[in-house]
Amino acid sequence: METITNAHLFGIFLTVGCFYLISLARRKSGFNWLNPLLLSTVIIICILVLGEIPYEHYMKGGGVIHALLGPVTVVLALPLYRHRKLLVEHKYSIIGGIVSGVVSAIVSVIVLSRLLGLNEFLERSLIGHSVTTPIGIGLSDMLQANEGITIISIMITGLLGASIAPFMLKLLRVTHPVAKGLSIGTSSHALGTTKAIEMGETEGAMSGLAIGVAALTTVLIVILLQFMGWY
Amino acid sequence: MKVLKQLFIILGINLAGDLLSRYLHLPIPGSITGMILLLILLLTGVLKEKHIRETADFMIQNMGFFFIPATVGVLVTYHALDGYYFQTALVVVLSTVIVLAVTALSTQLLINLKEKWKR
Repeated sequence: METITNAHLFGIFLTVGCFYLISLARRKSGFNWLNPLLLSTVIIICILVLGEIPYEHYMKGGGVIHALLGPVTVVLALPLYRHRKLLVEHKYSIIGGIVSGVVSAIVSVIVLSRLLGLNEFLERSLIGHSVTTPIGIGLSDMLQANEGITIISIMITGLLGASIAPFMLKLLRVTHPVAKGLSIGTSSHALGTTKAIEMGETEGAMSGLAIGVAALTTVLIVILLQFMGWY
Repeated sequence: MKVLKQLFIILGINLAGDLLSRYLHLPIPGSITGMILLLILLLTGVLKEKHIRETADFMIQNMGFFFIPATVGVLVTYHALDGYYFQTALVVVLSTVIVLAVTALSTQLLINLKEKWKR
């Protein structure tokens, strides 16, 4: 068994297999709430734990897929390019919306952490929970926080955003595709963007745009906070 | 050949972004620098959409797949939260709801204001 699991093929096969079969099941059954990413994660964790397979074995192949997150982020420029007219038309609304979102993210983490009695170390680890993983890790380092906690908080945020966004936007009566996409990308980065892309081309493009702009804005505000001696 | 050519271009831009971020000491990761770089190349017409279309669309449509190893990583990092599971989850959940609502409502408000202004 060891010889099978401790090879690049194992992690790649497991990941491709889970994602493909769940996506197929979703299409055939019409259950749109089935989230292939969330379900694949749960199934793979169960297989690793029940089969007593070390995480390092899975990551031999998993790491290859993980390394492709770079190019996947790069190509998010394509939907932006396709929607450049919309971008120019709504530039002030877009900047205003994203900046208010980023400020609310940082302020809410600080206020809620203090209300709920989290220590400052955890608080600093959660500051970047709404941004895309590579920048979140960078922020965590800048703040001398725990990378692992930052990654967990980013994943919870992304999965939550992707699952509650359609319902919440309906509840708040937000109907403009630009506002829908921006709010998803700003609050729940690329993971939420997977949902925004399903909602429509414009929503997906705006969500993709928000990932980059929100992440840059967060970095700038944290640098400013550090400069002011807050952290 | 087409997919290979497209992959070559996309990976090349990612690598260029990584190099730029590292040697110019930018506070942003190479992948984001690469994204900005690709946007500039498309806007200036140096690259055409057809040079990356099929591969880029495949990656975007199946983006969740590329996140699986990162989310499985929770399996080894969750110990850092011992004793604070509930509070941490609550902060993250509430903050996410707040950010989603604030961004959506403020953007919609700004768009509505602009449309009123036009008329």
